[in-house]
Amino acid sequence: MSDDLAEFRAGVRRWCREHVPAGWRAAQTGVPDEEFVRFQQEWFQELRRAGFAVPHWPAEWGGGMPPARQIVLYQELAAHDAPRLVLAFVGIHHAAATLLAAGTGEQRRRHLPAILDGEIWCQGFSEPGAGSDLASLRTTARRERDGYVVNGQKLWASGAMHADRCLLLARTDPDAPARRGISYLLMDMRAPGVDVRPIRQATGESHFCEIFLNDVAVPAAGLVGAENAGWRVARETLGAERGMTMLELAERLGNAGFRRLLETCARPGPGGERPLDDPLVGDRLAMLETEITGLRALCRDLVERAGSGAAGPADASIVKLYYSELLQRMTDFGAEAAGLAAHTELRKPMSSGWESGAWVLDFIGSWEWTIPGGSSEIQRTIIGERGLGLPREPRGT
Amino acid sequence: MPADFSDLHDELRAVARDLLAKGDAAVPADWYGLEVPEPLDGAGATFAETAVVLREMGRAAARGPYLGTAVLGAGALGLLEPAPGRDALLRRIASGETAVALALPGEHGGDGAPFRLEPAPAGWRVHGRAEFVPDATEAARLLLPARAPDGALVIVDAGAGAAGLGVDARPVLDATRRFGDVTADGLAAGEASVRRFGGDPRAAVRRLSERAAAAVACDSLGLSEAMLDATVAYAGVREQFGRPIGSFQAVKHACADMLVQVSVARRLVAAAVRGLSGTAPGDPGTDAAVSMAKAHACGVAVDVAGKAMQLHGGMGYTWESGVHVFLKRAVLNRSLFGSPAAHRRRLSERYRRSPDGGGPWRASGALSTM
Repeated sequence: MSDDLAEFRAGVRRWCREHVPAGWRAAQTGVPDEEFVRFQQEWFQELRRAGFAVPHWPAEWGGGMPPARQIVLYQELAAHDAPRLVLAFVGIHHAAATLLAAGTGEQRRRHLPAILDGEIWCQGFSEPGAGSDLASLRTTARRERDGYVVNGQKLWASGAMHADRCLLLARTDPDAPARRGISYLLMDMRAPGVDVRPIRQATGESHFCEIFLNDVAVPAAGLVGAENAGWRVARETLGAERGMTMLELAERLGNAGFRRLLETCARPGPGGERPLDDPLVGDRLAMLETEITGLRALCRDLVERAGSGAAGPADASIVKLYYSELLQRMTDFGAEAAGLAAHTELRKPMSSGWESGAWVLDFIGSWEWTIPGGSSEIQRTIIGERGLGLPREPRGT
Repeated sequence: MPADFSDLHDELRAVARDLLAKGDAAVPADWYGLEVPEPLDGAGATFAETAVVLREMGRAAARGPYLGTAVLGAGALGLLEPAPGRDALLRRIASGETAVALALPGEHGGDGAPFRLEPAPAGWRVHGRAEFVPDATEAARLLLPARAPDGALVIVDAGAGAAGLGVDARPVLDATRRFGDVTADGLAAGEASVRRFGGDPRAAVRRLSERAAAAVACDSLGLSEAMLDATVAYAGVREQFGRPIGSFQAVKHACADMLVQVSVARRLVAAAVRGLSGTAPGDPGTDAAVSMAKAHACGVAVDVAGKAMQLHGGMGYTWESGVHVFLKRAVLNRSLFGSPAAHRRRLSERYRRSPDGGGPWRASGALSTM
C-alpha cells in the first residue's frame, strides 16, 4: 500500500474516532421516525463536511475521490461501526447516477446540490403486477401540453414517506413493446395526487411504502433521457446499487458484523458454557469468516474492474447474490447461537444494517436483500445467461 | 507481485493450458525450476508463478511429480542454508533430471517432524514414518523432516534405495496421483546429509505445510474451472424436450451457483498465493489465508465436479466421459494436507485467544492493508 493511502487511512481513522457518535446504537434503538430522520440528516451533513458523503460523485459536484481511497474510507467507516446512510441512499446513488448518466445540465444543477443539502429521494419502479418482470409496469404518464399526467400505483418504495422526490418509471406509449414504451421521470413527492402509505414489513418496521398516483402533474423538465427510452436509463440506475455500495456492506459484514457474532458466541449460556468452545460453533464461525473474506475480495475486485471498464456482465449479480445469501446464513446462525435471549430483542438500532446483533430481527430482515433489487432467482438467471452464455428460457405467451 | 511477472503469468498459463490439454503430456522439465534461484539454473520466480502451473495442472487433471518435486522438494531446499549438496540438488531439479519428495504426511502436513535423529558412531541414525507422501515412489531423493536430539528441526537428504529407507506405494482411487509411505528404520545419515534451515525452523516447516495446502487449493480451483466450463458447454448443446438443457432454470441456476462458488474460491486462492509469494515464513495472515483457501476451494471443487457429473446425466457417469477423473481428484484433494474441517479448526482457534495471549480476533485486511 502506498504511503499516500496509508496517510489517508490514518486521517480517516482519526476522523472516525472524533466524529462517529458514541453509543449511537443504543440511542437510536426504538426511536420515533422524526428522530431517525434527524439523526440521518445530521450524520449525512457531518460526512459532507469531511468530504465523505458523496466521494463517488465527480469532483465538480463535490466528489472526485479516487476509488482506492473510497475503498479505504468504507473499510474504516465499517471498522469504526459508523451509522449507515439509509435515507440518503437513493439520492446519492440512484438519483445521482441517473442524472450524471442521462440528465441534462439543468437537471444536474437543480438536483445534485439539493441532494447534498439533504433532499431525500425514493424509487418508484416496482408495482403490484410488476416485480421481477419490471417491464410489465402499468403506471401511465399521459402527455399534456406542459408535461405529463401520471396515474397508477407503485410498491416497495423504501423511505417514500420521508422522500421529497421520486425516480419514477411510467408507461408513455401503451402500444409499443413493453420495454420501448417506458419513460423515466423525476417526480415531486409533494405534488397533489401523491398518496404514500407505509407497508408494515415482516420485521414490524414500516420502511417500504405504497405510492398511489392520481392525476399527478410532472413538468416536461422532469423527463430524463428521451421519451420512451426510460428502460435503458433505468438499467443505469439499477447498476448504481452495486460496486462501491456492495463493498461498503461487505466491509460492515466483515468488521462490526462478524465481531458482534463472535461476542454473541463468547457470551456464557445459562449453564455457564460459551458457544465458542463448542467445536461445531467454531467450525461454522470459520466457515462464515472464510465466506466473508471471499465476499470482500469479490467486492474490491468488482470496484477495481468497474473502474477500468473490465467488469464482466454478471459480476455485479454474483456479488449481490452472494452477499444476500451470506447475510442470511450469518444472521440465521447468529439467531441459533444466541438462543432465546435473541428473541427478546424486539427492536434493532435504526441506521444500522441487518448485521446489528439483534440476530432474530436481522435474520428476518435478511429477506430484504434476497427479494428486492432483483431476487436471488433473477440474479441466478442473469448469471447463467450473461455470465455463462447459457441459452435463454423461451418467453411465456 | 512484481509487475513484470504478469506477462509471464499469462504466457505461462497459455503454454501450460496448451500443453496439458494434449492429455498425458508432461510438464516441461524447466518448470520444475521455476522457484530455483537463477544462479542455480532456475527461473528465480515465486510461488505466484508455481501457482499458475498448479492451477493449469488441476484444470487438466495432469500427472507427474510436480507437487513432490517443485512445490515441496524445491520449496524445502529453498528454505535451507545454502550448501554444496543442497545447491547441486536444486540444479538437478531445475534441469528436470531429478524427482524429489518431501516426506510430509499427506493427511495433515503437520507442524512437526515425522522423523527423529539418533546419535550413531559415524553421524546419525534416522527413524520414523510418514504416510501418503506425494510422489515418493518416483523420487530419486527423499527429504525427511527430522528432529535432532537437541530438539532442532532439520531436513535429512537421503537417496531412494538407501539401506534402512523404505518407500511403499499406496495406490489410491484417483489414478492421476501417486503416494508412498516413507519409513526410515535406522537409516544412516552422515553430517553432510543433515541440512539446517536458514531461518526459524518451526516457521519454515509450517511454511512447507502452507505451500502444500495452497498447492492443492490451486489444483482444486483449476479443476473446478474445467468442470464448470465442460458443464456449461454441454448444457448449451445437449437437447431434451426440444431445447438445450441449459435453458431450463434448474440447470441454469445450478451452473450459476457453480460460477459464484468458483469466483469466491478464486479470490481466496489468490489471497493465499499472494501471502506465500510476498511474506516470510511465520506470517499469521498467510497462515489464515491458506487455511481459508484450502478449506473453501477444495470443498467447492467436490461440489462443482459432483454437479458436473449430475448435469452431464447418464453420460457423466460413464468411465469414458472422464468426469469421474476430476471428481476423484477433487475428493482426494479435499483430504490432502488438511481437511476443510481441520483448516477451519485452525482458523477458529484464533477466536478463542485471550487479549493477552496473542491478541483478539481482528478482521483480516480491513485495518491493515488491502
